[in-house]
Amino acid sequence: MRMGTVIGRVTLSKTVPSLIGARWLIVSPFTREHFQQGTETPPGMSKDPSLVVYDNLGGGVGQTIGFTEGREAAQPFEVPTPVDAINAALVDEIFYSPFKK
Amino acid sequence: MLLARVEGNVVATRKHPSLDGWRLVICQPINNAGEPEGAPQVAIDPHGAGMHQRVIISSDGLATRKVVGDDKSPARWMITGIVDEKEPGVPV
Repeated sequence: MRMGTVIGRVTLSKTVPSLIGARWLIVSPFTREHFQQGTETPPGMSKDPSLVVYDNLGGGVGQTIGFTEGREAAQPFEVPTPVDAINAALVDEIFYSPFKK
Repeated sequence: MLLARVEGNVVATRKHPSLDGWRLVICQPINNAGEPEGAPQVAIDPHGAGMHQRVIISSDGLATRKVVGDDKSPARWMITGIVDEKEPGVPV
C-alpha cells in the first residue's frame, strides 16, 4: 500500500460490465520528500506520476488515501476485473518521523 | 522482499474490513548503506516492529491474505521479519 492525496475524479461513459458504476480517483502518490506528517496534506503535487485508483470507500478530493497496487487490487472482486490500483484505506492521521543518521 | 526501515504508522477508520485490527506501518525501503530508496510503503505488521527498526517487507499478496485471514483482502505488503544484524556485521 502506498499513500497519496486525491487530486481529482474520473467518470467513464463506457466501461467493461464488471466496472459499471465504479468510482475512480486521481491520486498523486507521496514520495519520501513529499510525505504527509500529521493531518495536513502537503501542498502541491509529488514528483511521482499520478494514477487512477478504483474507490469503493468514498474518497474525496483533498483527502489522503492508502491504495494497493498490483494483482492484489483485483482481489476484493467476485469476478475477474481489470483493476490494478484500489483504495484500501481513508487515512485519518499519519505519524511519520524520517530516520536521520 | 525488501530491506526497509520503520518510519511511522498510519491511522485509518474507513478501510477494507480485512485490515481491521492490524497495525499499518510506514516502511521506507533502504539500500545496503541504510540510505532510503524509493517511495515509502505501508505494510501490515504482525510482529510489532518498533520505530526506526530495520525490517524485511514482502510483497507476497497470497501470504498476506493468509495472515489477515481474508481471501478478498487487497493487502499486499507485510513485515516478515525484524532485522537483528546485517552482514558485514552492522548492528541495528
